[in-house]
Amino acid sequence: MVFILALPPVVANGQQAQPASSRYKAPVLSASDTSRLKGPRQPIFFRHDIHAGQDQIPCMYCHYSASVSSEPGIPSLQTCIGCHQLIGGGPPSHQAEIKKVRDAWRERKPPEWIRIHALPGFVRFPHMRHIKALGTQACATCHGDVQQMAQVSQVSTLRMGWCVRCHIKNNVTRDCSVCHY
Amino acid sequence: MSDSLPVDRRRFLKVLGVAGAGAAAASACGIGPEPTERLIPYLIQPEDQIPGTATYYATTCRECAAGCGVRVRVREGRAVKLEGNPDSPINRGRLCARGQAALQGLYNPDRVAHPMVRNARGVFEDIDWDGAIQRVAAKVREAQGKGIVFLSGTEQSSFGDLVDEWMKQVGGRRMSYEPFAFEALRAGNRMAFGTASVPAYDFGNAKYILSFGADFLDTWLSPVEFQNGFSRAHAFDAGRPASMSKFVYVGPRLSLTGMNADEWIAARPGTEGLLALALAQVIVARHLARLPADASRLSSLLAGYAPRAVAATIGIDEDVIVRLAREFAISGGGLAVAGGMATQGPNGAEIAAAVNILNYAAGAVGTLVKFGADLAIGSTHTFGDLTALMADMAAGKVALLFVHGTNPAYSVPGAFQQALGKVGYKVSFSSYMDETTAACDLILPDHHSLEQWGDSRPRAGVTALQQPVVQPVFDTRPTGDVILKLSGKTGTFEDYLQGKWRAKHATNFDQYWMDSLAKGGIYTEAPTRAVRLAPSLSRISFAAPAASGGQDQDVIVFPHPILHDGRGANKPWLQELPDPVSKIAWHSWVEVHPDTAAKWGLATGDFILLKSSFGAQKFPAWITRSVRPDVLAVPTGQGHTAYGRYAKDRSANAFELLGAQANDYGGRNFGVRASATKTGEHRKIVTTEGGPRELGLGTTEVLPLARAKALHPGDHPFHFEETPEYAKEAVEWWGERQHEKASIGNYRGEHPRWGLAIDLSKCTGCGACVTACYAENNIATVGEELMQRGRELSWMRLERYWRTDEHGNPQGAVNEPMLCQQCGNAPCEPVCPVYAAYHTPDGLNGQVYNRCVGTRYCSNNCPYKVRYFNWYNYAERGGQYEAFPEPLSMLLNPDVTVREKGVMEKCTFCVQRIRGAQNQARLENRNVRDGDIVTACAQTCPSEAIVFGDLNDRNSRVSELAGNPRGYHVLAGLNTKPAITYLARVVAQETPSHG
Repeated sequence: MVFILALPPVVANGQQAQPASSRYKAPVLSASDTSRLKGPRQPIFFRHDIHAGQDQIPCMYCHYSASVSSEPGIPSLQTCIGCHQLIGGGPPSHQAEIKKVRDAWRERKPPEWIRIHALPGFVRFPHMRHIKALGTQACATCHGDVQQMAQVSQVSTLRMGWCVRCHIKNNVTRDCSVCHY
Repeated sequence: MSDSLPVDRRRFLKVLGVAGAGAAAASACGIGPEPTERLIPYLIQPEDQIPGTATYYATTCRECAAGCGVRVRVREGRAVKLEGNPDSPINRGRLCARGQAALQGLYNPDRVAHPMVRNARGVFEDIDWDGAIQRVAAKVREAQGKGIVFLSGTEQSSFGDLVDEWMKQVGGRRMSYEPFAFEALRAGNRMAFGTASVPAYDFGNAKYILSFGADFLDTWLSPVEFQNGFSRAHAFDAGRPASMSKFVYVGPRLSLTGMNADEWIAARPGTEGLLALALAQVIVARHLARLPADASRLSSLLAGYAPRAVAATIGIDEDVIVRLAREFAISGGGLAVAGGMATQGPNGAEIAAAVNILNYAAGAVGTLVKFGADLAIGSTHTFGDLTALMADMAAGKVALLFVHGTNPAYSVPGAFQQALGKVGYKVSFSSYMDETTAACDLILPDHHSLEQWGDSRPRAGVTALQQPVVQPVFDTRPTGDVILKLSGKTGTFEDYLQGKWRAKHATNFDQYWMDSLAKGGIYTEAPTRAVRLAPSLSRISFAAPAASGGQDQDVIVFPHPILHDGRGANKPWLQELPDPVSKIAWHSWVEVHPDTAAKWGLATGDFILLKSSFGAQKFPAWITRSVRPDVLAVPTGQGHTAYGRYAKDRSANAFELLGAQANDYGGRNFGVRASATKTGEHRKIVTTEGGPRELGLGTTEVLPLARAKALHPGDHPFHFEETPEYAKEAVEWWGERQHEKASIGNYRGEHPRWGLAIDLSKCTGCGACVTACYAENNIATVGEELMQRGRELSWMRLERYWRTDEHGNPQGAVNEPMLCQQCGNAPCEPVCPVYAAYHTPDGLNGQVYNRCVGTRYCSNNCPYKVRYFNWYNYAERGGQYEAFPEPLSMLLNPDVTVREKGVMEKCTFCVQRIRGAQNQARLENRNVRDGDIVTACAQTCPSEAIVFGDLNDRNSRVSELAGNPRGYHVLAGLNTKPAITYLARVVAQETPSHG
């Protein structure tokens, strides 16, 4: 069995990393803290703020197809284990969550994440077109500052009016059949 | 990675693209909290799949013996669309309706989901695989020496080799059976040339085509290949010196093939051979062609068949025979083909031999008829072999019977069923509960061909590979694996297959294997083998059968062009696709000439009971002039007693009328004598012909060849006053307002105007585009009841209009694909109160499903009647009219919304493909190129009649075609400014009718 052990580029060689002083420091959360967080509780308490915020892993390291496909891609469990084969976590609460990842890998049973951002079936949202136009840092435009979210919740309405406002602002197409078909 | 097999790398744990699955399952327009969806990631990311992006795998279509190459579009582990493989020399990237519908075989809701065994009470119950295989092993041991037979379909393949090895090991034998195995053709080839093989036919280079009942566009040998070749030869193309090959059809009824003819010769059934010999006689006697060396033998052989001597028997004028012979020979590339309805009688082999002689005399053998590149169907066992097997079975000489890929209990009802009853133990490998399987004792369901490895040799020189493109849908197992296990060998069938291939190509095998897989197979040109007239030819009697008297009628049982021998009947796409000629869907019929109908007092829809000496069945009459007055014609395909919800108990089985005895040449007589009685019952036939959507004549344009040849660029032979004088002012005013509107927001700037060009000279009306459209656009099938009420949703439909002579007798048909014209000045748009129907900047008539409230004003105002309304929620789980029962919903295209009740829908030129190509072009920092976007209909069209592109791009193919002088717009006088240009049908010659 061969694991992909390559670390995310930032972790590996510090590319794009901000100076350590200005870097976001994800807090260690107690149980009472986590119960106050917005958004659904996922089967594994995955901390976007640690991965994307503190460790500065680019979004598209895990959501690998967002720039080439309409779907952003959900990381396979193999991607998680690529790092967490080595990284066991610091505080016991982190260690417990990482153990869940390792158990899932061993049992070959991927976690069932709860979907947060969902569009109705009659809407097409090509991720790649938006990243092409707005750049790879543009994820936050719709998904909010995930880098500081200990638990991800939906920040935009994802309603049509909200989409169209941005399309007007950027003076791009408002043709119905671009999204609805 | 632990899993190194390509199929396992594609392992699909659950639906990753929940977006896609969600889109398919619940596209409700509801606003508010959606039910919680789960996102289940892959354990290991498959290397060759990106979520939201399609992956294509090359494999082989196994819906008939032709062996067309296909590319399967796979999205998130689901096969969602089949397209022809352009690398395949057989179908050149094209696919027929039956091929398209293979997906509905894969995801058929009535598949046998796991092994089953008949228990003591005679009912099937589940059994596990190990138990089932042990049971077979025990039965094989028991039956050894008492007769073991493995009955398969056409299997010129490694699988067939494996079965042969296994049967040798256990002392059994393998037999293959196809209900339409072209025995007459094979016997005719043996008579004429001493070889029973079936050659390849080159329609593409023929300059004159004469078919003696051979339905090469629908069911004869390799329909997609022949249709592609035929349209190359027969289409009118002003750029080519010899503009079009004339096509003459000889036969008792007009089939899909026949209705594409320029001339119909309705010779008396059984006399087609005489006609071929008379033509040959004229050619040889008058030296119309460069004659072969042994022509002296020919002239003595043909001496008795001068037109004068046989014209009366055939029932056509002598001078017509002479004219046909002259045309055929002078064309310098005449190709005559025999088969189908002409060779269904007891003298079928002689007819095929006679046509061979004609080809030989005209020099077609070796050039257009290529022995050497022999077709696999020629090595299938004959019907005579099957009757011998049935005799053995009935005599108790078969202790153990295996059935795989064939369903003789349907096509030989009664006799085979009875014989089956005398077999000790019967094992079926079918994944469908067809009639044969239902009569078996044990079922070991095979994988669908899209789920398993395999290869086939459809013709010499071509080895087509088959690879699994999806994970198995059910708990089925490849029969190859089961046989390997039973024969005590290790490994899977995949290993066996690779071993076979490795034996042929040992060096650098892995690369060779991957290359072959990517191309879909190994394609070489088999050398042509020269044939000579057989010495025994002179002893053959070509006499026509005596005209039979009595009250009985000649009844022809012909293969259904869509359902074929009945194997397509469990696929709703094929059931809902109207027969190209009769336009009848979902049930069977009998074709009756109006003269006969008048004599019997019949109206369309009245049932008549046909009673032959073998069986009786009743069919509703379809009264048509496309059949000879002295003949009744009935299609096969319906009347199943099993085979799943779409097939079972539907209409009547025409095979019931046929005998189970083989004729002299080992074939089956598909023509019988039967009494016909009016039963007094009546039904409303399910037809799209003459429905309120059809517009009638005036929408199709036909040009005689001479006129078409005289056209110059810039000519407008079809003059429509698009804007009459009195309306000019109003229209100009409207145009100005439109222009103002067109400079607002989206509509400003350079935009494409998407358009289609459809060449009616190429369109044969086969229906492949319709099924491709169903597959691409998630169109629901509505079923017999709703279709009878005109509620079908076929965005694309084929309107068939007869071309008639002065007596009203059809001489062929013009087929017009009718779909949304994407009008520039669309009547549907201004009447929509909610702007669901609107004009897109790129010239489409957009239809926003989530905005539609279902007033249906648009449909009322559409002059082309191409808007379709969802009267029911066809996607509703368990609903009354559910169109996609699990797992049929797996084939839904995730790029297209599934419409719900109350929504109007229609063709939008595959807007999802347009947006997909635009997205891709933008990613690659370029503009969309001509040819990037191919609509589903254009992609599949075996005749290449449809071209899509940007009308604003002066260099695009479509704008070139739109400027063709043959081009016209349907109902141009309404000033709708359609984006579809039809190119007029050209007919080789205006000729009077005969026969």
